[in-house]
Amino acid sequence: MSSVASPEGDAGAPRAQSRTHSVPWWRSAWFDVVQFVLLLGLIAWFAWRGADAMGYRWQWYRVPGFFYRKVDGAIIWGPLVNGLVVTLEIAAWGLVLTLVIGLVTAILRLSDSLAGRALAVGYLEIVRNTPLLVQVSIFYFVLQPLLGFNNPLWAGIICLGFFEGAFASEVIRGGIMSVVRGQWEAGAAVGLSPSDNYRFVILPQAVPIMLPPMAGVLINLIKHSAVLSFVAVFELTTEARNLIGDTFLSFEVWFVIGIMYLCLTISLSALVAWLERRVRSRG
Amino acid sequence: MDERRPGPRRRRRGGPTALDFAVLTAVLSVIGYVGYRVNSVLVYQWDWSTIPGYFFRRDPKTNEWVANLLIKGLATTVRIAVWGMILSTVAGVLLAFARTSRRLLPRLVGWAYVGFIRNIPPVPFLFLFYFFISTQLMPILGIDRFLAHASPGTLSVMQVLFGDVALIPNFASGVICLSLMMAAYIAEIVRAGIESIPKGQYEAGYTIGLSRLQITWYIVLPQAVQRVVPPLTGQLITLIKDSSLVALISIQELSFLAMEIAISERRFFEVWIVTGLMYFVICYSLALLMRRLERRAAAHGR
Repeated sequence: MSSVASPEGDAGAPRAQSRTHSVPWWRSAWFDVVQFVLLLGLIAWFAWRGADAMGYRWQWYRVPGFFYRKVDGAIIWGPLVNGLVVTLEIAAWGLVLTLVIGLVTAILRLSDSLAGRALAVGYLEIVRNTPLLVQVSIFYFVLQPLLGFNNPLWAGIICLGFFEGAFASEVIRGGIMSVVRGQWEAGAAVGLSPSDNYRFVILPQAVPIMLPPMAGVLINLIKHSAVLSFVAVFELTTEARNLIGDTFLSFEVWFVIGIMYLCLTISLSALVAWLERRVRSRG
Repeated sequence: MDERRPGPRRRRRGGPTALDFAVLTAVLSVIGYVGYRVNSVLVYQWDWSTIPGYFFRRDPKTNEWVANLLIKGLATTVRIAVWGMILSTVAGVLLAFARTSRRLLPRLVGWAYVGFIRNIPPVPFLFLFYFFISTQLMPILGIDRFLAHASPGTLSVMQVLFGDVALIPNFASGVICLSLMMAAYIAEIVRAGIESIPKGQYEAGYTIGLSRLQITWYIVLPQAVQRVVPPLTGQLITLIKDSSLVALISIQELSFLAMEIAISERRFFEVWIVTGLMYFVICYSLALLMRRLERRAAAHGR
């Protein structure tokens, strides 16, 4: 999931000769960077020209008001801040649920119990082979009235928990499987019960291996929380859509929302890259 | 399977464990509770009778069976997946070459694109690009003009390839949006395939005097393709699932039409359960097919 690795770092294998002699200026790395910046500028210019050609009126000055407003000295948070808070809330609670569901599923899949394994595999196949949008709809339109609670936010959080839980369970299973078999036998030899064996021997070794992909699951949780805008959950994307409905500032609002999500996910991606490096350097 | 399984004991054959009973009890009690809620508390009147009519209906004029909304939506979803797969594979391979290039500029472009797509949530991306594509790109492509001047023969071919002619611009925007997104993921798969070719292969190519292009075409690609095909099939399943997201930008595929039916019939339970099943059948059968092909390929020693 680490998508912020530097482009120099992951240069392809096919680098035939090392560049020891001096290169002409048009082949130097600096010139490439300059061209890249120019290219980005060109794309921005085209987008701006295109909007202009449609007769779009830029109103960037209204954007800060979407974050907060000062009324009589008191700060009133705008829709974008409220949406961001809900998105973070979904991500936080969603992560807790994801970890619980993932751990239970992984343990069931690795258990001796036939029914446990069947339940885990059935759950995994259902979640993996249906779209998240359909799952959200089923949680919102079917399970919510069925179980008799009326809370779209929690229907969404539970749905995301079940969705990401499938992926988390694979991460956890991979981590547990990566602990060599001798560790289990050693634990059993000194008389630990299976649950104590998990607690004191296996999980302490497995967790560091699971951490980087788990951070990837958290990033996906934030990314997928936007799907909840399909139902009545007032997270960042829903707030943005409502804002555009009210103000018609599509370009400004989507641009700002995009940057907000990118800030969230890229900083988490950087964290993943750092975690991965740390786990690897520890051996 | 048994060998890789952790745990101090080998898996016991036969004989239910305590966990078996716990799991069965939990599952049965959930089913029981749901049944109780549906039948006794909500007193929900299940009505599946209208659902088959949304698969096929009888045309009142010709008195023949014709596909109705659910089948039409499914066809659109499959068309989106097929065209999206073609477009995004082409774009993804180009991006992968850019990312493994010796020059910095293509590497930077590929890195920025893949990083951007993988870090932005699909839904805001779709909204943002749908807005751009439908207002800016579509007039440039000139699909509307082309359709207005197309002969009936062309139109019927287009109908088979892209679905309802009147909805082609709508369909095309959805496909382009999804392909732009999927291309970044495919690029990473193809890049991994290219980078998995050991350096010695390149050196061997240089030694016998091949140019870089020849090495790529005759040595690297044939080997990379074998490694790339299995994850690409997985990506097709992802594409079918993600195609449901374009319902949010009003592309008339399965999820969108399901929503319409659910609202107009006020049959949310039945419609969403059926829709979920339809997606599941398609994706799961693809997944099973993929596993079988992989096993066969492994048995043949690649």
